[in-house]
Amino acid sequence: MSGHSEDPVAEESKRFFTFFNLSMFLVAITGIEIVIIYVKTFDSASIIGVLFATSVVKFFGVVWWFMHLKWDKILNTVLFLMGLVIALGTYFAVIYMADSHPVVEKFEVAKIEDAWKADHSYKANDYVLQGEAYFQAKEDHLSNKSFEPKRWKKVDGVPHAISFRIIGGADMIEINSKNPGNPFFLLSHPDGSEEIDESTIALLTENATSADFRLKVRSEHFWTEAQ
Amino acid sequence: MSEASAHALEHHEPVTSTGIPNKKVLMWAFLGSDCMFFGTLISTHLIYRKISATVGGNFLDIRDVFDIELTSFSTFILLASSLFMALAVSAIHKGNLNSTRWMLLGTIVFGAIFLACQVYEFTHFVHAPGNELTLSTYRGEPHVFGSTFYVLTGTHGTHVAIGVFWLLGWLAYSFTGKMSTAHALDVEICGLYWHFVDIVWIIIFPVIYLMEYAM
Repeated sequence: MSGHSEDPVAEESKRFFTFFNLSMFLVAITGIEIVIIYVKTFDSASIIGVLFATSVVKFFGVVWWFMHLKWDKILNTVLFLMGLVIALGTYFAVIYMADSHPVVEKFEVAKIEDAWKADHSYKANDYVLQGEAYFQAKEDHLSNKSFEPKRWKKVDGVPHAISFRIIGGADMIEINSKNPGNPFFLLSHPDGSEEIDESTIALLTENATSADFRLKVRSEHFWTEAQ
Repeated sequence: MSEASAHALEHHEPVTSTGIPNKKVLMWAFLGSDCMFFGTLISTHLIYRKISATVGGNFLDIRDVFDIELTSFSTFILLASSLFMALAVSAIHKGNLNSTRWMLLGTIVFGAIFLACQVYEFTHFVHAPGNELTLSTYRGEPHVFGSTFYVLTGTHGTHVAIGVFWLLGWLAYSFTGKMSTAHALDVEICGLYWHFVDIVWIIIFPVIYLMEYAM
């Protein structure tokens, strides 16, 4: 922050090269950002770290040279930094406060409608539709040309796959049916991981969709409800 | 340095108690407050991006919506416009009116290209078959990702548009014959605004776009 030099015109001429070099540097760094996203050699945390570092370098490069803070009085820097510090404080405060909220990213209920097929490999507990009825495989097997009832157990109800993904961790997950004629209730206590991606099979009385269910997720302080 | 150049660089600005022209202090204070504004918008998006967008009840992978090649191109364009802006400020300080005009024109053209890319991008996002990123779903449910994304990038785009009109004003004024080094400070303040728009994009591009590919 040197203020005015003795020969400002000459100084402005010298700045041309500073500006040009800075511009090339910014373009090169942006290119690096894009390349590491495409190559994806590193894990997510490393990529985010690199993106953060390059953004900070570019940010202060523009502010310091293009916006002349390097040559201006310090009051301008102070004014700008005040806003920047408050902005960063707001950012971290909001992120910290919001972090405890579990977020339901996905909640899907879909009827299993796979018809039985010949010469197909089935695993134990797989469900198939044969005629008008649903069956559950008793064991792993390769199906013959025709349906073999001894390998299957007829089930009462319509099998549905219930899957959900929750971000932000949860202490308790509760799923219940909103339709008394189609009862279902599930209560689980996840292991505390940040991302929960689970699915379960439910035998329901009637066909249903996610709109027929309520999913409630509880973290330490918050309830999140979907549907 | 010639005497004429020395006079040209004094800019005829009144003396202030801070030693800095009031207009410049005002602009830096405004930019500080605009930092808070964008900080809030970016924070909001980063929180609500966790609530994934859905189309017709299906999970929408935002990477299928984004066109990272186009956004990378517009990022390079905006960075290049900052170079033109810095050179325009440098030229007016030196009293080189012709060079100032060309550099202002370059900044305006690159700013306009950036805006055109954003308009194309938004149109593409809203109408992408099966991947429509809108403000609400067909069932009228709020599309949180779309809302925070469009508000943030749209606000930035509005800042760019204001900057383009401001620069157009200076370019037009340069042809009236009244523009001189006495206006160097005004062009410099316009430049501060333009560079600020650039640094906001420097944050938005990796945080809002590239981060989605890193997760």
